[in-house]
Amino acid sequence: MARILIVEDNELNRDMLSRRLQRHGFETVIAVDGPAGVAMALSEMPDVILMDVALGEMDGWEATTLIKGDPKTRHIPIITLTAHALSSDREKSIAVGCADFDTKPVDIERLLGKIRACLPAS
Amino acid sequence: MSSMTRVVTARLGDFVDSFIPPALAADPNRRSLARLFLISHLLGPFLGNTVPLSLLLVSPHPGYDIAVLAASITGFWLFPIALRLGVRYELLTGLSIQNLMFCILWACYFNGGVTSPTLPWVLTIPLLAFFYIGSMERMRTIVLALFAVNIVGFAAIYGLVPPPSNGIPLEHIQILGMISTCAASLYTIMMAVYYARALASQSEIEAEMRSHLVTADNLQRAAADAERASIAKSEFLAKMSHELRTPLNAVIGYSQMLLEEAADMDEDDHVDDYRRILASGEHLLRLVNNVLDLSKLEAGRVEFHKEPISVRRTVDEVVRSLKTLAKANGNTVDVRVDAGAEVMIGDGMMIQRALSNIVENAVKFTRNGTVEIACRRSTGDDGDVVDFEVTDDGPGIPANELPHLFEQFSVADDLTSAKYGGTGVGLALVHRLCSLMGGSVMVDTEVGRGSTFTIRLPLGVAAAPEETPQIATTRGDAARVIGGETNDPKMAVAVNG
Repeated sequence: MARILIVEDNELNRDMLSRRLQRHGFETVIAVDGPAGVAMALSEMPDVILMDVALGEMDGWEATTLIKGDPKTRHIPIITLTAHALSSDREKSIAVGCADFDTKPVDIERLLGKIRACLPAS
Repeated sequence: MSSMTRVVTARLGDFVDSFIPPALAADPNRRSLARLFLISHLLGPFLGNTVPLSLLLVSPHPGYDIAVLAASITGFWLFPIALRLGVRYELLTGLSIQNLMFCILWACYFNGGVTSPTLPWVLTIPLLAFFYIGSMERMRTIVLALFAVNIVGFAAIYGLVPPPSNGIPLEHIQILGMISTCAASLYTIMMAVYYARALASQSEIEAEMRSHLVTADNLQRAAADAERASIAKSEFLAKMSHELRTPLNAVIGYSQMLLEEAADMDEDDHVDDYRRILASGEHLLRLVNNVLDLSKLEAGRVEFHKEPISVRRTVDEVVRSLKTLAKANGNTVDVRVDAGAEVMIGDGMMIQRALSNIVENAVKFTRNGTVEIACRRSTGDDGDVVDFEVTDDGPGIPANELPHLFEQFSVADDLTSAKYGGTGVGLALVHRLCSLMGGSVMVDTEVGRGSTFTIRLPLGVAAAPEETPQIATTRGDAARVIGGETNDPKMAVAVNG
């Protein structure tokens, strides 16, 4: 069973996202802020990370850069979750080494597609 | 009475102006000097000729001197004509002042020298010279020199060749003095009054100019204030919209989750309610997104990113985001993407936002109908374009609403607004987005038949279709199409090159 790390500071979003992913057969672990996300990437070794970008003091971009900077965690695919934006954060996502990005509110089917694409074919 | 004075003054003004050549009229300063010159020369001979006329009456044996004096004074009438014919103004003023001095000194010579009753006229010389030449430095020197030469010349001639006696009795000399002094004073007063009036009208113009400057300054300040208020408004809307989205995300997310769970457990009686919550949440989200986008556009905080995008995926994403609304109104949505319009260069997110508003209107206003989205390539005046045609068989738009259709905060009318709602933001946003992308939006509509909205955007792919890049997937993080866009920067290079 694939393990997904959700880095999200909003409690409702966290709860909703993890329950929906669990319903679709994923194991989820949760980090409530950037530093916790970086620490749990290393301790939990998830298969995929869902990273909210608006995280308070250490934002999602910074946390992603740190995870991608650590040789032990740099292989983990990261999908950034951004708020609705006309000029999308797509380019920024690529620049910091993310596998993909999606906008909130998430469409579960679309997100599942993106997560599956990040997982090694089995 | 006063209106008659005004009419006479205006007539006189026109008459005076008719002597001013165009070259002088062009310079307002020189024009006002020329006016003084003309007034003085046109009226001067009337007053000046009182002197030879009086001499003629009181002289026991009138001589040639009176004829010469009258001729010289009447000669001033030639000056306006000379001016009109193009003789230089400076030359004419010099000649005029010389003629004036000659008249005065001539009359003095024959009528008593320094005790002559015509001597007060000497005072008019500096006054008139000042009126004619204004601030012309060189002319001032010339006039001063003329004055000195004339006085010295007069004194020399008077000393060397004594004048013949005119034989006028003393009491007549006194009358002559009275008449001459009165005429000189009247002439001076007339010129001074005219000069004062010219000054007053000039200061009126200056005052008006100052008030215009003050008005312009106020306007500028008001414009700056309005600009600041507009920016503050945009920033407030952007912040507010962002804050609204967080609870909305939860409403939409949880209702989607409940909907999935209810569907899984076959709780059909709840499914419809959950779907209504979801539809309302999505509706609210679209409104908030529009306000957010519009405020960002107004604040100039939107950048246009160009990259290769899949037209099909862009359209699919739009349809997907509106499927709940389309379903609620019993509409089916068909998508057709022609060969040749599959890949374009543009800002996928922006195209999605523009198209989404058009399709939203189509599925909102149409009940139990069909909405067709057709994407085709055509060649316009400025190269190849992609047309996104959205056709519905809904109610159509009345002709009188069309001129304001793409204006901000405009909804069709109160009735439409009451029946379907609407904030007048959607189409304004579409219009602005299309302009920003170098494209346009058009509408073809008929009441009772339906509407076709067309978004026309530059294709941006100059190369032939066979050079269209293949979306390749090597490893997990390579090129992948995201919501209608690819995130591989290499592809942009491939297409542009």
